[in-house]
Amino acid sequence: MKARLFLLSLLVAFAAVPRISAQELTGGVKGTVINRTDRTAVENARLVLYQGATEVAEVRSSSDGSFYIPRLDNGMYTLSIYSEEFLETQVQVTVNDGYVKNMFNIGLTPARKVSEVVDESLAEFDMDDSGYNDNPTVLFGSNDVFSNIVGYNFSSVRFRQRGYLGESQDVLLAGVKMNDAITGYSPFSLWSGLNEAMRSKDATLGNDALDYGLGGYNGITNIYGNASSVRKGLRGSVLTNSALYRLRLMASYATGVMDNGWSFAANVSARLGGNDWIDGVYYRSFAYYLAADKQLDEKNRIGFVFFATPGQRGAQNASTQEVYDLIGDNMYNSNWGYQNGVVRNARVRKTNEPVAILRYDYTPTDNFQAGATLLYRFGKNGYTALDWYDSADPRPDYYRNLPSYFNMDNDDLNRSNYTKAGWAREAWTHPSLYPDIVHVNWDRLYTVNSMNYDTYGSTSGNRSKYVQEERHVDQRDLNFAANFKWRPNAETIITGGANAKINRTENYKIIADLLGGDYYVNIDNFADRDYGSTPAKVQNDLDYYMANGSAEVLHVGDKYGYDYLAQIRKGEVWANGVFSRGNLSTTVGARLGVESFWREGLMRKGLFPGVDDNGNAFVVDGVALDVAKDHNGEVITSYGKSKVATFVTGAFKLGLNYVLGGNQRVYANAGWFRDAPKFNQVFLSPRTRNSMMDELKPVRTAAYDINWQFTGGGYNARVTAYYTSIKDQSKVMSAYDDLQNAFSNFALTGIDERHVGVEVGVKVPTPVPSLFVQGALSAGRYVYTSNPYMTQTVDNSADLVIDNALVPYWKETPVYVKDASGNYQTNASGEFTKKVSGFQEHYVPSTPQLAASIGLSYNWNYWFIDADIQYFAESYLDMNPLYRTDYAVAGPDGIVSPVEVEYMTSQEKFDPACLLNLSVGKSWYIQRKYQLGFSLNARNLLNNTSVKTGGYEQTRIVDNTVNKERYYRFDPKYFYMSGFNYMLNIYFRF
Amino acid sequence: MRKFFFASIAALVALVSCEEWEPVMTLSYDEPEAFVPVDMDDQVNMSIAELKAKYPGHGTPLEITENWIIKGQVISSDKSGNVYRELYIQDATGGIDVKVGKSSMYNDYKEGQWIYVKCRDLTLGEYGYKSGNYGGDGMLQLGMADPTGSYETAYIDVQLLIDRHIFRGKVDTPVTPTVLTENQVSDSRYDGTLVTLKGLKFADEQFALVYVSSALDTKAANNRVFLSDKNWGITTWAFSKNKFLEYINSGIWDTATVGSGNENYGAITGKATAIEGKDAVHTYKELMIANAAANSVSQYFKMGSTEIQIRTSGYSRFSDTEIDPAILSGAKTIDVTGILTRYQGAAQFTLLDLDGVVY
Repeated sequence: MKARLFLLSLLVAFAAVPRISAQELTGGVKGTVINRTDRTAVENARLVLYQGATEVAEVRSSSDGSFYIPRLDNGMYTLSIYSEEFLETQVQVTVNDGYVKNMFNIGLTPARKVSEVVDESLAEFDMDDSGYNDNPTVLFGSNDVFSNIVGYNFSSVRFRQRGYLGESQDVLLAGVKMNDAITGYSPFSLWSGLNEAMRSKDATLGNDALDYGLGGYNGITNIYGNASSVRKGLRGSVLTNSALYRLRLMASYATGVMDNGWSFAANVSARLGGNDWIDGVYYRSFAYYLAADKQLDEKNRIGFVFFATPGQRGAQNASTQEVYDLIGDNMYNSNWGYQNGVVRNARVRKTNEPVAILRYDYTPTDNFQAGATLLYRFGKNGYTALDWYDSADPRPDYYRNLPSYFNMDNDDLNRSNYTKAGWAREAWTHPSLYPDIVHVNWDRLYTVNSMNYDTYGSTSGNRSKYVQEERHVDQRDLNFAANFKWRPNAETIITGGANAKINRTENYKIIADLLGGDYYVNIDNFADRDYGSTPAKVQNDLDYYMANGSAEVLHVGDKYGYDYLAQIRKGEVWANGVFSRGNLSTTVGARLGVESFWREGLMRKGLFPGVDDNGNAFVVDGVALDVAKDHNGEVITSYGKSKVATFVTGAFKLGLNYVLGGNQRVYANAGWFRDAPKFNQVFLSPRTRNSMMDELKPVRTAAYDINWQFTGGGYNARVTAYYTSIKDQSKVMSAYDDLQNAFSNFALTGIDERHVGVEVGVKVPTPVPSLFVQGALSAGRYVYTSNPYMTQTVDNSADLVIDNALVPYWKETPVYVKDASGNYQTNASGEFTKKVSGFQEHYVPSTPQLAASIGLSYNWNYWFIDADIQYFAESYLDMNPLYRTDYAVAGPDGIVSPVEVEYMTSQEKFDPACLLNLSVGKSWYIQRKYQLGFSLNARNLLNNTSVKTGGYEQTRIVDNTVNKERYYRFDPKYFYMSGFNYMLNIYFRF
Repeated sequence: MRKFFFASIAALVALVSCEEWEPVMTLSYDEPEAFVPVDMDDQVNMSIAELKAKYPGHGTPLEITENWIIKGQVISSDKSGNVYRELYIQDATGGIDVKVGKSSMYNDYKEGQWIYVKCRDLTLGEYGYKSGNYGGDGMLQLGMADPTGSYETAYIDVQLLIDRHIFRGKVDTPVTPTVLTENQVSDSRYDGTLVTLKGLKFADEQFALVYVSSALDTKAANNRVFLSDKNWGITTWAFSKNKFLEYINSGIWDTATVGSGNENYGAITGKATAIEGKDAVHTYKELMIANAAANSVSQYFKMGSTEIQIRTSGYSRFSDTEIDPAILSGAKTIDVTGILTRYQGAAQFTLLDLDGVVY
């Protein structure tokens, strides 16, 4: 183990001495400071009252949390509340007519003990070539007992709350929804490493709305991100995370609101190095943030923010269990190899996507506030990969390199050379002896390139056979959002707003490294094999070819392969009202919007040239190129603007909230949603053509929940039951298929899901002071409820391989009846008997459907200790649609048998896992001026290295089962959770 | 305080192994050293002809247990795809097919490059031998033992085996092809070597074995269609899947029959009763179209009175290239350069690419 812990000096805590200022006036402010989480009193909190930028008073809360600031003039004030274990909080208060304003309870949000890297604690899973997506979610809801318990620890198994996809979680920055316009993914990587600047946030769960947006059915989070919300003072921290990177250095400085109304804030960080578990995964990421606010007058504030997180990080790849078992390590990563003895990762994410924000806040009265934000995201996001032309697959764990390719017990597979399998096994079981075989053999790639002297057109030199490409998804994303909050009376709160987005995302790839060669050529490697005799057809850029007579010769940095824009436009208005009467409050909310998107091809591909300006086929080298047409007779083309897909979106929400006595409440929500599919869920093969799915449907969701919450006397509990149905989802998976010699695209429509379950979070005091028992349970059942339709295309052909065919085994595997001797029963007409009630349902994958945690929490005198045992079960592997088709089930003989159905269509369930986690932290004051603290979060203390956190089925069928009855699957690939790992954070405040 | 801060950073930096910091700090990687050829000349103890002479006889593959080491220059290239998973090497005494079972090997084995083969634990076997009147010798290959017994040798396709048996020496001037006389074509000494044959005239005969469905048993008579013993109108060196469809759809093969040997199932235009049963709904031809695939073709030429089959893979890049009608009409003869192989006693000629056809 590379890790060593730090010795910590003993330091002295202190209590600040309060200062009191006063005036001879009758007005005043009073209230009670409480912990938002458990509603307990917060003692000795420092309350500073400002009028404008002038400090008017400072007091401390007493042991019951109460405070009183007397002798205030009429007017508007800002009250800032500071307490060491809580986030800094500001509230606006107006003193009228010389009365003492009672603020009642002011809830403080606990400073999350270990939330430091929660939004980046997940290594990037390399899923690009698999056709699947990886979009982990982050649990927010900082004032929620369930979220507080599960937040950081559940993320290590990629727990998704209520089984929902990450894109259903609305994440706002300064009021602007930041979810990726193309994929819907949560955009945390945009600001990861800026934890201090982005610390201040509000979050809700489920159907609950926020002041800044109506949200969906999976919560909404708004990160403030402005200068005055950054904690005042100079702070620094040093952090190491043994599962992710060695070192994070971070510093922040914020002025708070100064006398002149200005606030300034800055935050910088660097995240560097590798980790204990996954070789090849490393960080080289930096981050900077600069912000300024100006309080123009009592009513107007304007703010500006600019930040970015330039850097790169190595990605982790999944392998089959065969590979992990041979190597003897479930953390094996096939993405890297030695180059001159140095570890080099082939898959590196390189990003630099700055965000600029202009925010205006308007607070004319106590009862009305409004704001508007203009936000622009731009820059570059690249992801490298190996590309090769007419040469062997360089990936070490390519299936033809493994023992199973040479010998399998099953005779159907025609793999029966035990000797060869033994030699393959010899290499794979001795990775240190044969690094060139079990890792990427960079030296060979350079050798091949440097020995391939070739002349192309007028260029002579070493033509690279292997290159490192960099796939770019570069966004220009302009957003406007405006929102208001109005309290016409004490019983009513109306919020609302409008927002709009213009997104133009350019997708292309460039040559990142020629790997020792001198040039590469812009032709389609796959088309070249099939249409090599017609040069025009293999052109990635036909226009260049027509102008120059040969394909472009490429050097580092040159664009090639494909180049297209995803264009997205959307606009939306929303409103939400909360109406209270006595103990009952009712919430009604709605939103209405329009969303459009289209593709715009910038490179004309030889396989899909379309037609010229006069509607005629292109004639190249004297040959008229094929003009392919789709179902509707539209020309299939790679160039120009596609049809525009337009959707009317909307939502309606209803909520009831009833307070039972002082510390219990019961509340229920219902929401109905109609959302547009995402760009990447609609285009069949956006790299090559404009074709969209024939039938575009909005996704319709209905979500219901009922909740009971108890807070008081140190107790804290929430119980929720929920039911959600999601209908008509679509999805496109693209994966390289070496049988087709091409990328194969599987477009699915009509995927329906149902999510039902309960969620429980409990925190209970014990007879020992400051010691609590805490527990959380999430028990759900997330299943597919429809059989979708599938269309299959390949990148180098206009033909539909499969045309909108039902995927009959998607939602369940039938179970067949066997007789006493174990044979499948047939009925009178010779058909196999299915067990009507015995269908094996298929589940929404990649999250435990049962997750539980029980533990102890101790919190005293700036110490905290949390110890939790966690249990995860009912997690399933992501399914590919190909294995659920009649074609795959029937096999080469075309006859469906029960053995084939059960083998081919069933879904893998992961083994349950038990984990033990421990967190410890403490902070001290030094010389009454400085604060020093640490937090240590140790996860997976039992060092369990066999917990699958995800994976996928390969979308391929074993091809050499000629003249056999059955087809066979390829082995699935898995990702595993790291074994014992820790995160140590040492922080100081000057 | 400040001391503490810097001490912390120093401690964290010290935690770190150097290896993982390399990409973090440098952002660049040194280029590996250029290829260093192996020189094992002093270990070579056998010529290729001597090795081939060790073969005991038909049907008895030899598992080599001695430390025999041969060397030869690469004469084949799979760049055009007509040679696939074979590496032919040649020395002054002869040539041999080393069954290195990888694809795109021309990237690693350059024409003219010296290759050393450590033969111990490899197997010397024959491919293409058939006894009887219409049969004859095949050709010797060096590979792995084949436990299934289907062939005398199996591919050397495990990387570790390649690394232990095949060593790459210096890249030398490519071998000059031997110009053979008609008599020499029948001499097995030239099998597996690079040769030039001059004055070949089209013999108006073609051969292709096409399957009704390659997903069914390719050895079953009801799945086989022989296009043989005459000119079937194939005007290309072979045919890809697309070209196959063009040919079969044109109707020029409608007289072909399904079956082999004594089993004959009638013309391909008939109902596919031998496959779909007596109630068959499709014709064989329809099934062939549905299961279209690329196919190898032998174009027959005569060198004097000796028959030369120029056999080309349907997966080669020049498979669909049209042969000059003047050649197919017999008006023009051709000179060809490529690898001479032998199958069932007949000379089969493998082109490396179309540069090997001169007329």
